Amino acid sequence: MGDIDDTHFETGDSGASATYPMQCSALRKNGFVMLKSRPCKIVEMSTSKTGKHGHAKVHLVGIDIFSGGKNVKKYEDICPSTHNMDVPHVKREDYQLTDISDDGYLSLMSDNGDLREDLKVPEGEVGAQLRADYDAGKDILCTVLKSCGE
Amino acid sequence: MTDRIISELENAAGIIMAPPNVVSNEQRHAAESIFIDFRKSKSPYPICREILEKSQNHFVLFEAAEVLKVAIIREWSFLLDSDKVSLRQYLFEYITTREAAPFVRDRILQVLAIMVKRASIDDNGKERANLLREVENLIVNAEPDKKILGCNIITNLMQEYASTVKSTDVGLPWEVHFKAKKQFEATDLKRIFQFCIYLLSEAVKTDPPYSESMLQLTGYLLKITENVLTLIGIYEAVYEADAAPALKLTSSWSEIIFSPVLLPLMFQIYWKVRDLEQLAHHSLTCLVQLASLSGGIVSSDEVRHKYLHAYIMTLLNLVSNVTIKSKESLGVSNIVRKLVIFFIHDMPKLPDGVMDTLLDEFTRLTCNFSDGAALEQSSEEDTYFSDAFDNMLEAWSTIIQEFSPTENKLAECSKRIFNNYVQCHLAPPDGCRQSNNGDLEDIEDNEDKDRSRYKDQLQTIGVFGRVVPSHTLPLLFKLLEARIEKLVVQLESMHNRAMNISEAASLDNIFEDIHWILLISGHVLCMDSDGETPMIPSEIMQYSIEQNKRNETTLDATIKAIVAVESKVQTPPDFDQCDHVIRIVFNVLKLCIVEDYAVSITLGHFLSPEVGSTLMWFLKRWCLSYLLPVENYYQELSPTLIGCLGKDTDCAKLVVKYVIAKIQSNLYYFQSEPILLRDTVDLFCDIVCVKQKSTHIINTDSMRNLIRLHQEMEPGTLPPNILRGLFKGFVLAGVALQNPADMNSYYEMILTPLQQRCKSIVSQENFTRIFHEEKVQKVVIDLLECFIGIAKGSQMASVEILFCFLAPMLSELPVFLTIYNNYQVIVQLILELFGQCAKYMLCYLSPLDSKRLYESSLAMVQAYAKCNTGRLSTEAFAEENSFQDLALVLDLLTFILSKDCIDLCANANNEEINVTASDVSLFGLNFIMPLMTLDLLKYPSLCAQYYRLLVLINDIYPEKICNLPQDLLRTLLHSVELGLTNFGSDIVQACLDFVQGMATYIFRHKLLNTPFAEGLRPFLKLIMDLTLSHQINSDTMSSASTCIYSLMCCFQEDYQMLAQSLIDMQSDPMIAERLAAAFTNLTSLVAMTCDRQPKLRFRDNFEKFIANVHGFLLVK
Repeated sequence: MGDIDDTHFETGDSGASATYPMQCSALRKNGFVMLKSRPCKIVEMSTSKTGKHGHAKVHLVGIDIFSGGKNVKKYEDICPSTHNMDVPHVKREDYQLTDISDDGYLSLMSDNGDLREDLKVPEGEVGAQLRADYDAGKDILCTVLKSCGE
Repeated sequence: MTDRIISELENAAGIIMAPPNVVSNEQRHAAESIFIDFRKSKSPYPICREILEKSQNHFVLFEAAEVLKVAIIREWSFLLDSDKVSLRQYLFEYITTREAAPFVRDRILQVLAIMVKRASIDDNGKERANLLREVENLIVNAEPDKKILGCNIITNLMQEYASTVKSTDVGLPWEVHFKAKKQFEATDLKRIFQFCIYLLSEAVKTDPPYSESMLQLTGYLLKITENVLTLIGIYEAVYEADAAPALKLTSSWSEIIFSPVLLPLMFQIYWKVRDLEQLAHHSLTCLVQLASLSGGIVSSDEVRHKYLHAYIMTLLNLVSNVTIKSKESLGVSNIVRKLVIFFIHDMPKLPDGVMDTLLDEFTRLTCNFSDGAALEQSSEEDTYFSDAFDNMLEAWSTIIQEFSPTENKLAECSKRIFNNYVQCHLAPPDGCRQSNNGDLEDIEDNEDKDRSRYKDQLQTIGVFGRVVPSHTLPLLFKLLEARIEKLVVQLESMHNRAMNISEAASLDNIFEDIHWILLISGHVLCMDSDGETPMIPSEIMQYSIEQNKRNETTLDATIKAIVAVESKVQTPPDFDQCDHVIRIVFNVLKLCIVEDYAVSITLGHFLSPEVGSTLMWFLKRWCLSYLLPVENYYQELSPTLIGCLGKDTDCAKLVVKYVIAKIQSNLYYFQSEPILLRDTVDLFCDIVCVKQKSTHIINTDSMRNLIRLHQEMEPGTLPPNILRGLFKGFVLAGVALQNPADMNSYYEMILTPLQQRCKSIVSQENFTRIFHEEKVQKVVIDLLECFIGIAKGSQMASVEILFCFLAPMLSELPVFLTIYNNYQVIVQLILELFGQCAKYMLCYLSPLDSKRLYESSLAMVQAYAKCNTGRLSTEAFAEENSFQDLALVLDLLTFILSKDCIDLCANANNEEINVTASDVSLFGLNFIMPLMTLDLLKYPSLCAQYYRLLVLINDIYPEKICNLPQDLLRTLLHSVELGLTNFGSDIVQACLDFVQGMATYIFRHKLLNTPFAEGLRPFLKLIMDLTLSHQINSDTMSSASTCIYSLMCCFQEDYQMLAQSLIDMQSDPMIAERLAAAFTNLTSLVAMTCDRQPKLRFRDNFEKFIANVHGFLLVK
């Protein structure tokens, strides 16, 4: 099995908003949040306050969920815990890998039979391993990450 | 020949010392290896002497001294006595007649000291006495720089005897060291001390300013004196935490120590040098040590009284005449602390006036230090005064225990110190707290809060407060009332118009004041009760009783006050006659109302969450001790306290109502303050977990309101971890219901809504399509949080009902995990839930229920494994993610295993059980082991957890480990090998335990021909090599030795071969011979039966073996 998080473009999420608001204090580590207009996974979350009798502020460190490998994009933000933050809708779907085309595109099939062929083999180690496993005839399941229309 | 070597060494030294751009890397390495070889040379004495004579190169000279040191340690027992003496004399002469660079000189001095020490073991210190005589001559008669040299020799000598860490360096076992030191102490140490005192008494005749050489010499003398006073007893105190051990002397020291001039002299010196930074410290340490005089020297009470009296008179003379400076405060406070520790029983026998003066001075010092500490806090640089203040408080808590609190003097001191402390923490005009000028720096929430940072301080202040409750309680409530009044005025004016800057500052001051008054009140009214039943302190109870007896308070007025909390009335009727404890609590509850009022006029964002937290803390503490007290715990009860807080009183119900209402409003209004909410939930859990109390809480309307509040809340509104705390509380409270039917219906009220929510989600037809929608996820997260809370709150009485409720959900969760396997938050919550169930519920569960939990856990781990084996990811932080998951899985496996150690289930009838704890653990382990890469093991906590689990499984199920499939076995042993070589000593310890356990098992069950035994075989050599090459530190050495013993029992031939090959490796026949002898001694009289007795004997032999072998064997 291989797991791939890849970037691809989709035309709009049928008009629905890409994010929803959530109170800062209710966010969780390993959850998602929009930082600098990018969908991020929260990898660090701590609270602090301004002065001893001040109110809580939340310090967030997130990484762009569509960045990976060598160019990880890390963002930080600090905001009062009463504020609402935008949280991206993040959807991860599993697809069965059915074919790899000559020009490097994947043929994927979802559980309910939908087909898609718009994703390229990812670069780097994972891609190489994926090709090797596919050539060896293994069954491969790919996870595709989708958020904010990407 | 030697000249060639010298010039070669000098060249090499030149290369090593050259700047990096002049020489190449290869040249440097070549030069280094020349020195490395040089260090290994055998019998290097002539060549080193020649180098010392001829070479001018400091680096080479230093290396020569180093080589001498190593060689002497290694070859001491082969050297001829005449050679030793001549070498010693040569070195002594060398340093007394030549100008050597300081670092060369120091190394030679060390060699000399080692030689003298080694010699003293054989000749009972004759050589040492000779050397000392020469040194004394040097100091008395010679030039200033020779005097210093003399001091240096003494210092080095003492260091050699004192050092405990270096003991194996000189190739001596610990006992021999100890004996040598005792002998040194008994003879020459006293002589050194006397000699120093004599010289100091000469020095003290001149007044500062001192000449440079005089300064240096006095400094050395003081350092030596200090060392003498701290050196004694250092071995005995090796395991104690206190840095400076007590001055424990034998009676042979009487004459010197009890000489009437000694104490005055030492104090006089201190007085003279206290402004000289380089001397003051050493001199003060001498005084501190003298304050801890004990041992055989204080042969009778009379001797002790006399010494104490003399000490105190000189001490009083000093402290009443000078102002103590910040740096010396620490030393002075240490003197007080030590005096109290060692002489507390003698203090009452001091003449009357002296004791009173002493207590007065202690009080004055304490207050001074407290003031100083307050200043230090605002500057945040040094902590001399703060530490000194803590020392004084430690002394006081002993004093208060020892003396009857009714003594007027003590009451007066307590009052003064208490007042001073309160003042230091209040803003002007009442106090003298430094304002931090509105300095709004960011404070991280992981910083300690005041209540834990100043816990010890506050506890002692509480003790002071309870000595004089008639003073402290009125003081506290008056202060509190004034602050609340100010706060209300301020809030009202803010309601009408915007606040200006000075008002903002004064609001901050009010908050800080309230915060501290609450902290202090909480410690005066209640004592810390870690693990004990919280009680009303007897002093407070007594005070309340007496107040009532004297008609100063009445129950009626007290009740009126409680009733008046809610009303807008500022002062309840007959407030003067309200019990003082209740009056403080009245104010606290009032403060809660004021907070709610502020929220109601939309000023909630101006309140201080810190104060809110402190309020929750106070209420928790107070409720635990006072609210609904268990009456038969007390001999005497105050009618006012019991009348308004006892069970079945309307008043107590009111208090419960107020407290729960505040919990509710915090949960509702302050959802953005995680810390405040945590304290709120803590309060809730703690007041409902005492059965006798929660009986009276559970059936109240307030409780029902709280439950309703939660059910009406939108999912995902509370910060993480709060919901589980709330549910833990709900579940804990239920145990108070005696009647099973009541209990059932209560739990139904809590659990049914959860069940319905759960069902309504799962039963949705399109669940597999909508599961990733946020609103669905939120509900799932909320539910899991509640379940975790339920697991955490389980107790023996409730576990059956609760598990019955949870079990169906648990069995669903593996499916959930598969569905949500891409959503880490949920995956981790599921893992955590199972872990918590195993931790808090499993030990009470019946075999049948345990089996259900095992099955679900197994299915869950299987599901997790299926989703994660062979998974590759392009995601950043993938490693960190798997670390978090695996830590949770390891937790679960460890908790599950604990069922086999602690099983508190009442009816343990063994039915047919086909899934056991070990199956779950082993399956989990099978799955986890391949994932435990070296990279992941570099997370220290994960690493520790993993190895702990291995040891645990091995302890309980060695047979299952033996039967693991080949490849797993290999992975397992490989990770043990990694553990022995790659991580810290705790992991090494765990691995050694593991290997030892397995070896013992194999030996006992005669499994030598199994693949498992084969796998274990290489460990004998590995562990042997590790110990010989110093890679196992001394703490784990005894485990290593028993481990080696067990392995030897299994693989005796291997051991013989190993020993032989080590012997054969030695090129020097003499060393080979010694090694062979050492190996023979190692196993002499040790039976290879793997039993306890021979194992212990082997352990002792091994210690000697290692000390011996490290001396001559050069193992890289």
